Amino acid sequence: MALPENVFKALEDIVGAAHISNDPAVLDSYRYSLAHTAIHLGPFYNTYTPRGAAVLLPGSTEEVQAIIKLCNQYKIKFKASSTFWSGQAYPSEEDTIQLDMRRMDRILEIDEKNMYAVVEPGVIAATLQAEAMKVGLNTHVAGSGCSCSVLASATSYFGSGPGNLYGGWFYDNLLSMEWVMPTGEILQTGSLGSGCGWFCGEGPGPSMRGAARGFLGAKGSMGVFTKCAVKLFAWPGPKTLPVEGTIPAYKVALPDNFKAYTVAFPSWKAWADAVYWIWDSGVGYLAHRQFNMFGRDLKYAMVKILADPSKTLGDLEELLEDPEVQAVTEQSKRDFQIVLVGMTQRDMAWQEKALDEILSRTGGWKVEAMLAPEIHDWALLYLIRLGHKNLNLVFGGSYDGCFGLVGAPDFGASFAEEAGQFKKEWEQRGAVVEAGGDCMMGPIGGQGGGGTCLWENFTCFDPHDRFSTDGTLEFFDAATGYGIQRGWGVGMEKWNSVARGPDGRTTPKAVRDKMHLAAPQPNIFRYQYQVRKAFNPNNLGDEYFETLEDEDGET
Amino acid sequence: MPLEDYAAEMDRCSSCSYCKWIPFDQVKSWRFAKNCPSIAYHNFNSYSARGRYLVARSLLNRQSEYSDTVRRIVYTCLTCGSCDVSCKVCRYNLEPLQMVRELKFTSVEAGQCLDAHQTIIESLRKESNTMGAGRRERGAWAEDLPVKRLPTEKAEVLFHAGCRICYDKELHKNARAAVKILLRAGVDLGILGENEMCCGGRIYSMGYRDDFTHFARANLAIWAKAGVKTVVTSCSDCYHAFKRLYPELGSKIEVLHAVEYMDRLVKEGQLTFRSEIPLTVTYHDPCHLGRQGEPYVPWDGVEKKIKNQIVVYEPDRPRYNGARGVYDPPRDILKSIPGLKLVEMERIREYSWCCGAGGGVREAYPEFSNWTAGERITEAKATGAQALVTACPWCERNFLDAIGAPENGMKVLDIIELVQQALSVEAADGTS
Repeated sequence: MALPENVFKALEDIVGAAHISNDPAVLDSYRYSLAHTAIHLGPFYNTYTPRGAAVLLPGSTEEVQAIIKLCNQYKIKFKASSTFWSGQAYPSEEDTIQLDMRRMDRILEIDEKNMYAVVEPGVIAATLQAEAMKVGLNTHVAGSGCSCSVLASATSYFGSGPGNLYGGWFYDNLLSMEWVMPTGEILQTGSLGSGCGWFCGEGPGPSMRGAARGFLGAKGSMGVFTKCAVKLFAWPGPKTLPVEGTIPAYKVALPDNFKAYTVAFPSWKAWADAVYWIWDSGVGYLAHRQFNMFGRDLKYAMVKILADPSKTLGDLEELLEDPEVQAVTEQSKRDFQIVLVGMTQRDMAWQEKALDEILSRTGGWKVEAMLAPEIHDWALLYLIRLGHKNLNLVFGGSYDGCFGLVGAPDFGASFAEEAGQFKKEWEQRGAVVEAGGDCMMGPIGGQGGGGTCLWENFTCFDPHDRFSTDGTLEFFDAATGYGIQRGWGVGMEKWNSVARGPDGRTTPKAVRDKMHLAAPQPNIFRYQYQVRKAFNPNNLGDEYFETLEDEDGET
Repeated sequence: MPLEDYAAEMDRCSSCSYCKWIPFDQVKSWRFAKNCPSIAYHNFNSYSARGRYLVARSLLNRQSEYSDTVRRIVYTCLTCGSCDVSCKVCRYNLEPLQMVRELKFTSVEAGQCLDAHQTIIESLRKESNTMGAGRRERGAWAEDLPVKRLPTEKAEVLFHAGCRICYDKELHKNARAAVKILLRAGVDLGILGENEMCCGGRIYSMGYRDDFTHFARANLAIWAKAGVKTVVTSCSDCYHAFKRLYPELGSKIEVLHAVEYMDRLVKEGQLTFRSEIPLTVTYHDPCHLGRQGEPYVPWDGVEKKIKNQIVVYEPDRPRYNGARGVYDPPRDILKSIPGLKLVEMERIREYSWCCGAGGGVREAYPEFSNWTAGERITEAKATGAQALVTACPWCERNFLDAIGAPENGMKVLDIIELVQQALSVEAADGTS
């Protein structure tokens, strides 16, 4: 159903003719393939998210507010997105108005003294980082990489990444917000709400972080966040990264107070112990099991390809036959990357010593091959900027995570081998990339939980290949069943099946309720229902803000 | 290959949006982080490579039809290739630039053309140039130059001036300077004068593949008749056509941009810069000399899968990602000119920002084209340079038009002008 002409005209009056479109081709460029990456549902071959009713490019908070008020007047659903990295950014119902927040892309302030930045939705981590570095600061970068919106990561989703260890997840770093609520009212949260500036998320002023985003974030279903402040961190490096090298093997040589290590361990227990000690000792600036996303068997060969501009994926098979590659692959089985950054030379020396001691106590080692200058400098740049995250898709064009074990380090570590083995058996059936089973990747340590890890077992497949896509779905179904049977819970491969069905549309209420009732703590969703009722009375978002209504519609 | 053959890429493009930014490792500021003028200006996702994959799929699947908006989406692509470079930082099995070109070819074949382009095509078909001028005026730039006229005379090296220089009087001096410098170095040089024809590169980038093929074959024929072994041009558009596109039609001729030739002559000691030029300059990499200036590598292979679902090619497919473009020769020339100081912009080499003149955009969407050039001029001014130097007449013309009067604080120069000045070669107006 097209928007009524008068509604379209009213929207056009708000944003201007150049910033609204209902051309079918434009609308189709705002749809997302459900055979694709990070949909956390499916994958489903040749299936797309519903076509929107119109796409708007608002340029100010006032325009956003006017749009939302109009949506309330005509009971039209809307969804705002900033950088559209994953399936959650797209509406799950027909005729939703899509707000592309790209034009609101200013860094409004970098407060050097108080170490925070105020940003609009279109600001990505790469540009914020580049500007912050000029004044000796740095930003957290979400695991999805520096192409993603800082505001979206902080206000509306996980915001977990390699910087968790030193700086905390983005949701930890979220300070004050400007929130155009689902009714169109504007709420300034935290210290901003009492006229004290952006420095605090919880007051003096309305402490609304929990209601606005919850744990995972409302994923664009509870109004529009038009500005927010995020905490920044110390950056004891150059004002501009002195990048060298030939594309794509860019690299950076930084002073001695920067070092990127890949460390590995003789057992998963040793691995987890090391993570705990790293957390306890305060060592490290960035930490992530990053390159294992290529798979245990392929990761070092892939690093060799990526750090050498003369190589391509076509060199992979030959590299895998190289005895040196095989040896490094073998010694890197249970690994992770850690970047040490010393605020002073003395600090760096202490961190180096502490890391050596941790390795000594756990029997771990530094993977020497990853310290070769061309690889070290490439890995250092990769981890600092996190600007190569479409490598997630390098193999067949699509990936998604499965299992998704979130918890203390030894929770994931205890089951990594088992989950990897389960996947390895499925890899042999041919639908997904054969990578060694263990493709578990994720951040090491997060302040929110005193060292939590998030384990995501990457599963790479070809979205253009029906056998591959259907086979991946079959595997994900099996992984979910296995995870539930083993008490790990529903894996991240099914996270969105509460909100979105196989046709890309909103899951029927009865199905949602059933899933939420089966959750360990259904009252969370009952509470969120009350939050939604209060803040979003016309329910103009989608079902990503998960709620549980009891049979009579009330809790 | 036909648009249908890009269906796999349309599915495999993950909509990550890397195509909208310079390679992230190279981001130095908020202000100059974007790479694609088309999405930067229009903002709708549809105007990025990612969006164009989705629009193309929508058209292919008949979920949408051509409209004014769709034509704008198709033809506001400058085919500058910046999306291609950024995509390929991580991806090995996508060719976004070639897909967009194919979308243009398909659109033209479907009759979904722009009126503004029709004028160019008519001029081309009638007068062998894209400038709407007469064929006989083409050689005017070289009227009094003591250089061989091909094909009547024979020469090993052909200097091809290109449509822009031939019909843009303000730029005649660049070609004249190039010829004088090469003659002074003892090169066995000739020109085609009024027998010269359009290279076809610009119409290729507008979507007129058949016309391109016609002119490519005609040029190859006349070069063969004249016994030409090497073609030198100071136009980066022509360079790209000759270097990358003509070999697909069987051309084996050596192709050099004038800066490559002059850099070679400087390094061999055949040209020595004696005059000091006290000037701070910044250099703009033309898209067709830089990231698209990589040599053609023949390939006739097929896709295959390894490790179940890893998409590779048999034999390995050539990878055009800007790594082997022509970046250093112009810089080496500038650095070797006494007194001249080169300062770099933030977006350079393979991730350079486009001048805005390509893909038929200058002719069809002058406001957008002018904005694109203005963005580059702003970036150039931020370096503190006194002059913006380039190596392509299309870039130069677009910058000159966008910058307006000289008193706006920055000169726009072709690198050959500086070479001429540093060599003290007599200029077009007779001064030295």
